[in-house]
Amino acid sequence: MASVHESLYFNPMMTNGVVHANVFGIKDWVTPYKMALLVLLSELGRAGAQLGLLERRRLNRLLLPLLQGPDMPLSRLLKAIEESCSHLASSVHIRLKLMAEGELKDMEQFFDDLSDSFTGTEPEVHKTSVVGLFLRHMILAYNKLSFSQVYKLYTALQQYFQNDEKKNGIDESDMELTNTEELEGKMEKEELDVPLREEEISCSGPLSQKQAEYFLSQQASLLKNDETKALTPASLQKELNNLLKFNPDFAEAHYLSYLNSLRVQDVFSSTHSLLHYFDRLILTGAESKSNGDEGYGRSLRYAALNLAALHCRFGHYQQAELALQEAIRIAQESNDHVCLQHCLSWLYILEQKIFDSCVLLEHSVNKSLHFGLPYLASLGIQSLVQQRAFAGKAANKLMDALKDSDLLHWKHSLSELIDISIAQKTAIWRLYGRSTMALQQAQTLLSMNSLEAVNVGVQQNNTESFAVVLCHLAELHAEQGYFAAASEILKHLKERFPPNSQHAQLWMLFDQKIQFERAMNDGRYHIADSLVAGITALNSIEGVYRKAIVLKAQNQMSEAHKLLQKLLIHCQKIKNTEMVISVLLSIAELYWRSSCHTIALPVLLQALALSREYSLQYLASETVLNLAFSQLILGIPEQALNILHTAIEPVLAHGAVLDKGCAMFLVAKCQVASAASYTPQKKIEALESAILNLNEAKTYFAKVDSKEQLRDVLYFQARLFHALGKTHERNKCAMLFRQLHQELPAHGVPLINAFK
Amino acid sequence: MAAAGVAAGLGSGDFSDLREIKKQLLSVAERSRERGLQHSGKWASELAFALDPLPLSELPPPPALTEEDARDLDAYTLAKSYFDLKEYDRAAYFLRGCKSQKKEKLHFRPLEKGQVKNEALRELRVELSKKHKARELDGFGLYLYGVVLRKLDLVKEAIDVFVEAAHVLPLHWGAWLELCNLITDKEMLKFLSLPDTWMKEFFLAHIYTELQLIEEALQKYQSLIDAGFSKSTYIISQIAVAYHNIRDIDKALSIFNELRKQDPYRIENMDTFSNLLYVRSMKPELSYLAHNLCEIDKYRVETCCVIGNYYSLRSQHEKAALYFQRALKLNPRYLGAWTLMGHEYMEMKNTSAAIQAYRHAIEVNKRDYRAWYGLGQTYEILKMPFYCLYYYRRAHQLRPNDSRMLVALGECYEKLNQLVEAKKCYWRAYAVGDVEKMALVKLAKLHEQLNESEQAAQCYIKYIQDIYSCGEIVEHLEVSTAFRYLAQYYFKCKLWDEASACAQKCCAFNDTREEGKALLRQILQLRNQGETSSTDIAAPFFLPASLSANNTPTRRVSPLNLSSVTP
Repeated sequence: MASVHESLYFNPMMTNGVVHANVFGIKDWVTPYKMALLVLLSELGRAGAQLGLLERRRLNRLLLPLLQGPDMPLSRLLKAIEESCSHLASSVHIRLKLMAEGELKDMEQFFDDLSDSFTGTEPEVHKTSVVGLFLRHMILAYNKLSFSQVYKLYTALQQYFQNDEKKNGIDESDMELTNTEELEGKMEKEELDVPLREEEISCSGPLSQKQAEYFLSQQASLLKNDETKALTPASLQKELNNLLKFNPDFAEAHYLSYLNSLRVQDVFSSTHSLLHYFDRLILTGAESKSNGDEGYGRSLRYAALNLAALHCRFGHYQQAELALQEAIRIAQESNDHVCLQHCLSWLYILEQKIFDSCVLLEHSVNKSLHFGLPYLASLGIQSLVQQRAFAGKAANKLMDALKDSDLLHWKHSLSELIDISIAQKTAIWRLYGRSTMALQQAQTLLSMNSLEAVNVGVQQNNTESFAVVLCHLAELHAEQGYFAAASEILKHLKERFPPNSQHAQLWMLFDQKIQFERAMNDGRYHIADSLVAGITALNSIEGVYRKAIVLKAQNQMSEAHKLLQKLLIHCQKIKNTEMVISVLLSIAELYWRSSCHTIALPVLLQALALSREYSLQYLASETVLNLAFSQLILGIPEQALNILHTAIEPVLAHGAVLDKGCAMFLVAKCQVASAASYTPQKKIEALESAILNLNEAKTYFAKVDSKEQLRDVLYFQARLFHALGKTHERNKCAMLFRQLHQELPAHGVPLINAFK
Repeated sequence: MAAAGVAAGLGSGDFSDLREIKKQLLSVAERSRERGLQHSGKWASELAFALDPLPLSELPPPPALTEEDARDLDAYTLAKSYFDLKEYDRAAYFLRGCKSQKKEKLHFRPLEKGQVKNEALRELRVELSKKHKARELDGFGLYLYGVVLRKLDLVKEAIDVFVEAAHVLPLHWGAWLELCNLITDKEMLKFLSLPDTWMKEFFLAHIYTELQLIEEALQKYQSLIDAGFSKSTYIISQIAVAYHNIRDIDKALSIFNELRKQDPYRIENMDTFSNLLYVRSMKPELSYLAHNLCEIDKYRVETCCVIGNYYSLRSQHEKAALYFQRALKLNPRYLGAWTLMGHEYMEMKNTSAAIQAYRHAIEVNKRDYRAWYGLGQTYEILKMPFYCLYYYRRAHQLRPNDSRMLVALGECYEKLNQLVEAKKCYWRAYAVGDVEKMALVKLAKLHEQLNESEQAAQCYIKYIQDIYSCGEIVEHLEVSTAFRYLAQYYFKCKLWDEASACAQKCCAFNDTREEGKALLRQILQLRNQGETSSTDIAAPFFLPASLSANNTPTRRVSPLNLSSVTP
């Protein structure tokens, strides 16, 4: 019932429907709901001895949310109490009834009696406990009320109580359906109330300062840690507007509204809210005399800094730079080193968009440590590590640095940074091509308990690091051919990070990449092609690369080549080494597909050198495989076998299933090729071991359901069996081959001539 | 509803039958008063007063009483007297049983005073919406329904209802006025289907003034005056306000003086008048006005504002702030006082209080460009040029053709070293008609900085033309700079005649005299050397000679396309 909340419209700062500025700094006031709580507390004190231990504990646990939460109708309150202790609920109800149906003096008497609980040698309530503070706040607030306000409070209480009664009455008449005419009237009234009621979702009416603070901090922490649990953007905004209507001086609400607008990527309203917040903050900073002028200047600096952050978030780097310059200038003028450090970190982030600047970051880390800002320092270390990893610095040093910063985190228990650190390690291991290590790190994070005191019960937060780790996990599973598991993980991601939330883009990209890989394996190029657009939208470089791959697979060599060349130049410019190597590999593949193995060789060597330099082991072994293949075709299978031995181990240990299969297949081919020069006895041995290797390759290909490769392997195996004279096995393979061949369209590329 | 029917007969802009109009006005004034709608009644009677008196025979007869009315007459009369004595609850009590439509009107007054609690408001809404569905509401009832909806923040519904009210009873000014407050931009206005009567003209003129579309507003008012309302103080005051809004101070002042002659005890709009006097620093007039108003009624918002302005002009800013505070106490939603208080705090160098005051002003009315501009200025004083851009942009959005915002924007961009944007702003400021005449000089200096001497010279030339065409003999600070630059520019271009003319002008100013003389000597020397080579270059233009009386350029203004994001 909307009208229930009417009774809550008791706000000493509101007269005649106009909210006045909170000149007295009133933080709390008495509302009927609070009176019900007071009654509950006094009943609790009275019945203290008779309550069982279990009931007591349940009630105590109930009290805190009741004290902090928004006002609620009486029926809901009573229900909540009833769940913990039923007879207490009824006694609260009775006392409220007595007070509401009695006289004004009952209420006054009640407040007079309240303060008794503090007195005596062994007081029931300690003065500084949560309950004690609440009681004292209420008594103070009550004593401040003028007569008319007291009377208003009393009528509000009566209404609060009566509304509850009335509601029960309606429920009964609903059942009976006797007085239809009256009911119709009511229905009509309720219909009209519907649009109004939408505004009142979780809290309604004016909140006291305390309640508002609680509401805001709760929502803000939810936004940060677990967006899905927070209110939806629209309803949160409604709540905030409602809050601001009654407490226009409540600056923090503007900040939350800024955060909320960021969620929906609304530049205009987020700028508006941010500036409004700081305009308001400047006020409160100026009013509090303890800070004096310092507090006022401080908010100015941070205002500019926050504006810079806002522009950076929306990708307005030039604007962000201007705002940042301003922040730095003001901070320098007033010698605020802490603020300057924050500015420096932001400067790094901004500069990063333009060019790499380790120097800035190193400065930032050093200075932050000096000024005792562990958070900033380790954030700096983390970005530094990330940058160095891309720049191909020695892995052991990076891991050392991460370990050191981890020490820092654990010391200051910065749980958020610990999460980030682990996620980063996962990503770095993935970059280096050590999938098992990555898997291990990912699992570590997922099975870790949150350190934050707020979420003791909750195991994990919905932060970016979790999204990253889960995405990696999905991809790792997909690589190993566990598509069901991967899609399960993605489903989970979808639930935890709904499509409109901040980190949703991450899993969207990974999802499409996995689908793309699958489509490529199955030879459904048109599907892969349709996925390219989606990938491009999320990551343009990746998208172009995938497009080239599709073109290559569709035998449009010259287009693919053109695209890859362009991409190569671009990636070299932005120093995306990982992509450069992948592109080089694809180009080499294009060359050998066109039977230009001699041209492919230098490209491959370049890729190999690069991947060794940046210690991207996985890419290195893939390059070696390509190289071996080229050598095989060029007629030096012995050499190919030699270098294959170096590469096969990491591939088998960390590689994707498909790559494992390809590698084994290649080994078999090389064995067969090099067996040509052997003596017959040795030749038979070599061919048999080749058949074994082919069997292994077959199992790998079967895992990812890659029919094309399977067909090739079968063909090859049949030939080998034929050479060995094993007709039965040969016929079996040939039959399987025939089945597959009928399923798949004939392919332009000769069977032997392809390695992937 | 007879009058309403007749009013619909006269189409929009049809003022041929002034007698008819007067009749309608008188009757609606009577009916408004009967329902306790004092303001609308006052407006209608004021307008009626401006028209020629009617002979006795044509005076509208008192509205006929219906059977129902007659039954409730006693209760109604009693309640009305209570109501007039501001005993609202008592009035409501005695009206319980009445079915007459007039009764609802009496609910209205306490409502306006905000003394009706939200609960009562909702009950009223339910009741009214029932009647609305049943089409039982007349024009006044619809108006009441609209007000209730507005109080409940249901703006869309409120607009619909007010439009309906205007259709049913176009003569009721209150409905139009409410509509005015709810319409936020021109687009919204376009989509409203308004009744086609002569009242619409008044409404349009009023809303054009509100929406800062001054040209259109002035046109409308002029046509209203031509139609025969020349004596109406309402129109005169509105015209004065409009002139004030476009900063045509002299005209506005003269109109206000005229208004005060016609209506010496008028308090409305006097705050605007005092603003004008303040801008012109007319101390004695302002002091006279303050005294006069204080005598008439010192507990009026406008009076407090005038006194505040008076103190501010005397540089007693604390007292000024005090009076503005008093005005706000009288009416917390009185917008102007918040802004003015902000200005006072700025004068007192209390930036945080100023920001507070401006923010309050914006909260009351988001369209208040002066508050946005003031906020921008405050941050500019705090040396945050990037930060204040946002505020100036807001101000500029609200007043796209006000050069002050543009110059302020330009200055900020200049401080941020974004010279391209700054140039755009200054040029635009000049193009929309620069009030302070500084945009061109600033633009020229920018060109100078960027080594675009050609454009710089052009700007200086235009600047000098501007200054001279205004006929201001007042020593303008930058004129000498302009001449000096031009002299050097012509000297570099080897245009000796122009150069020497400018150098001679330079000699007329103290700070550039020596330079001018030196330049003259050099010119003389060089001229003697290269007499033959340079004299044949014809001078394309010469400055003060080719003056144009028109100081606003005819060149079309291109849209101000600032590259930065404008949230």
